[in-house]
Amino acid sequence: MNVILLAPEILLTLLGLLVVLLGLVSKNKNFIGYISAAGLFAALILLLGIKGQGTFFYEALSVDPLSQIFKIIFVVVSLLAVIASISYFKDNRNQDEYHSLILFATVGMMVAASANDLVALFVGFELASMATYVLAGFEKKNPASLEAALKYFLIGSVSSALMLFGMSLVYGLAGSTNIPVIIEVFQANPLMATSSLGVVAMVFLIAGFGFKMALVPFHMWAPDTYEGAPSVVSAMLAAGSKKMGFVAAFKVLVLALVALRMDMQVTFAVLAVITMTYGNIVAISQTSIKRMLAYSSIAQAGYIALAFVVTTQLSIAGGILLALGHALMKGGAFIAVALVGHMVLLDNKNAKNIDHIENFAGLGKRAPITAFSILVFFLALAGIPPSAGFIGKFVLFYSITIEAVSQASGWLLLVVIIAILNSALSIYYYARVIRYMYVLPANGVKIHEPAPYVLALVLAVIGTILIGVYPEPFIRMALDAASVLGVR
Amino acid sequence: MALISLMILVPLLGAIIAFLTKTRQQARAVALIASVIPLVISLFLFTYFNRGVTAIQFYEAYPWIQSLGISLSFGIDGVSLPLVLLSTIIIPLTVIFAWGETEQANKFYGLILLELVGVLGVFTSLDFFVFYIFWEVVLIPMYFLISIWGGPRKDYAAIKFFIYTHVASLVMLLAIFTLYFNAFQVSGVLNFDMQYLLKSYSLIGSPLLKDVVFLGLLFGFLVKMPAVPFHTWLPDAHVEAPTAGSVILAALLLKMGGYGLFRVILPTLPFTASTGLLITLMAVIGVVSILYGTFLALAQRDLKKMVAYSSISHMGYVTLGAAALVPLSISGAMFQQFSHGLITGVLFMSCGVIQHSAGTRIIHELGGLAKHMPKLALVMMAGFMASLGLPGMSGFVAEFLVLVNSYFTLPTFVILALFSIVFTAAYHLWAMQRAMFGAYNEKLGHIHDGANYEIFAMGVLVLLVIYFGLNPGSVLNMMTANAEHLDRLLRFAVLRGVIT
Repeated sequence: MNVILLAPEILLTLLGLLVVLLGLVSKNKNFIGYISAAGLFAALILLLGIKGQGTFFYEALSVDPLSQIFKIIFVVVSLLAVIASISYFKDNRNQDEYHSLILFATVGMMVAASANDLVALFVGFELASMATYVLAGFEKKNPASLEAALKYFLIGSVSSALMLFGMSLVYGLAGSTNIPVIIEVFQANPLMATSSLGVVAMVFLIAGFGFKMALVPFHMWAPDTYEGAPSVVSAMLAAGSKKMGFVAAFKVLVLALVALRMDMQVTFAVLAVITMTYGNIVAISQTSIKRMLAYSSIAQAGYIALAFVVTTQLSIAGGILLALGHALMKGGAFIAVALVGHMVLLDNKNAKNIDHIENFAGLGKRAPITAFSILVFFLALAGIPPSAGFIGKFVLFYSITIEAVSQASGWLLLVVIIAILNSALSIYYYARVIRYMYVLPANGVKIHEPAPYVLALVLAVIGTILIGVYPEPFIRMALDAASVLGVR
Repeated sequence: MALISLMILVPLLGAIIAFLTKTRQQARAVALIASVIPLVISLFLFTYFNRGVTAIQFYEAYPWIQSLGISLSFGIDGVSLPLVLLSTIIIPLTVIFAWGETEQANKFYGLILLELVGVLGVFTSLDFFVFYIFWEVVLIPMYFLISIWGGPRKDYAAIKFFIYTHVASLVMLLAIFTLYFNAFQVSGVLNFDMQYLLKSYSLIGSPLLKDVVFLGLLFGFLVKMPAVPFHTWLPDAHVEAPTAGSVILAALLLKMGGYGLFRVILPTLPFTASTGLLITLMAVIGVVSILYGTFLALAQRDLKKMVAYSSISHMGYVTLGAAALVPLSISGAMFQQFSHGLITGVLFMSCGVIQHSAGTRIIHELGGLAKHMPKLALVMMAGFMASLGLPGMSGFVAEFLVLVNSYFTLPTFVILALFSIVFTAAYHLWAMQRAMFGAYNEKLGHIHDGANYEIFAMGVLVLLVIYFGLNPGSVLNMMTANAEHLDRLLRFAVLRGVIT
């Protein structure tokens, strides 16, 4: 057991505790943001630097390429959110709690990414969920934030309960909570998995993960929560904790599907197609940018869910790439919205609806860096090359086209065509915001963009473009990660 | 020598510098320098190009995404070099024409340079993936050019342009995927090289899939050209775009579609099971575009809209010439692309000058402009004559070649297309007469002639139109060499009984 492999988690846990302690003893708490950013950056370096694989704690956790790439996603998103929070929560007297919660949430997601056991998975899920419930309601004087948190908490608890119930049924059938053992048992007794109990367990698990991934029809909480929560927290929720659902689904569902050769193609294709179409269509009519981003992130979840349809190595790699790209694009976009909120509050302290699209008018003149970042993120989300969004969609759609051609399956091709039309449709609502930013006149003066925000935005922009311009290493990483699942 | 990548990188760098400049004087100086350097390079390529050879020349390649078999490879041949030359001629002249731009000048010139990057990339890349990326890159600057500097309905026009052409290119992308995967299935090699994928097209097993891939590619190119019935984005985009945007759109972006026909569609054609039907389809689309475009142009009240529809009609000749599959009709179609790029530049610039001076482009609200705008009247008259096909100018050579040579294989279609010639002459002359000559419309008040830099840009284009009209061989010979090469491929297919 090589504990070094778990160094990033250990570092972040200790840091979370340290941050709480520091908060108790210091008056001015602004420095805490820098400490947690530095800690997350160190964790990122560790993640990138540490090579090796292994399992820990009686095979409850496993460190492998799949877990590592998702951990990188989580840490990067938290890092961006924390850097932006240095400005967002400046002079807030509860900063210490905020940062420690973010750190614990990150650790929870990382544990979920590494989980090799249903119990460990659940513990990771809950740790991350508990922390993010509180984060969503962190602006406790803002009713919208409280509503967001309450909704998120209620629905999150129900989904956790469903998931736990599904897990307990699986345990009852297989007699173990260790994922590889479960797969083996099911492989040995195929009838067990297709029994009514097995199907019920599967449905509960899909529902539980579906809530986290915000797939339609389990998406209801997402728009309200993303809209109401503080923008930096929305960045974390949409870009980070949503991916936790995906990593869990990759681990449990894909393994189960592959092992049992269960024919779930149609189920997932329908889920994915409905999710992306619904997300895109509803996004068109939104006037609140955060709500629009929420629906666009539902649509993106639909694209990523296409990876489950064919479950080949390439399609899963495409899903992972898109998840990685989405983390940067969506995280960056929410942070940019936070900066716009900051700008609006400078104009008018009591402004309402600070993320209304009208506030983006003339942003190209008022806050050029923010506007340019939003431009990059939105074009990337729409899948325009060369960007992370394009590469992810390219690999994903391409992998499904391959399957469609080799299985000579017309309906798979139809799924790709719908996905492509969807991504054309999405251009409409992204371009609308771009028009507001660059075409309409500004209704205010140029503002000073705070350095932490700018740093976070610039990092996300660089990441988004880098993956688009030089995708080779990222594609390899994603293919390695997908190979862990032992798919074709 | 990495000449081609240099030619693409210089305007890219220029665009970044232009975005960062503070004053419009700096911005336009940067734009001029960064667009003249590619012109010098392309003239160099044009001079040292080996005209007897149909193969790719000035080839260069760099590895990029190895796991998917994608590399940055560039090169030119007789099909692409004239279009590269056209792009590098049009963009500096557009910059000169737009020398007086004041509104957000740094972004304006930067976007124009980005357009140059995009079209040069499309015309020179030999990797299908890279080709597609440049194909998409072209859209974004144009979207901004229309939506920021455009006319009253710019939002609608810009988004319509974007979505129309984006959907078309996604369909094309899907067809490219299928080609790529098919090649992989056959050979086990992942490779996005364009020539390699086009060769592998003949190995696609199912005839249905062959046709679907072919139609997907064809759709992508026809929307861009645009051919009737996929043309409806064009008039809106043109009418609302600023003059520089219209010039680039008509002179360069439409040519990407035609380039696709010669580069991709014709090489795949002999291997398609239903070739006869597909050729007929292309010929019908070509002739309908010619006729319908002409009649629509005849009906327009707005001068710019008339010119926009005339583009549709002229691009119809490209489709017709390509579908006729006779070497000289194909090279005539290629020459039509080159020539129309030059001529349409003059026409759109004329519309821009009139709009600027008179404040309107509605033909019946103008009248007798020649009295107050003699310089404009001269170059505009030359442009209109070239556009209606006056012998001695490049448009005549191109359309003559297409019509005469297409007659060998598509006689009925050519006879139909001939009708358009009368009406083409009619709308050009009629518009000219009502707008420029006759009694001066006093309601317009006192108006001034075009600025010297505007007349200069148009004058250069007119001279080039005359030069290539009298001496078409300088570009036509390399086009013909490649067209004959294509023809040999087609004949080979006839011998094998693929085409009957």
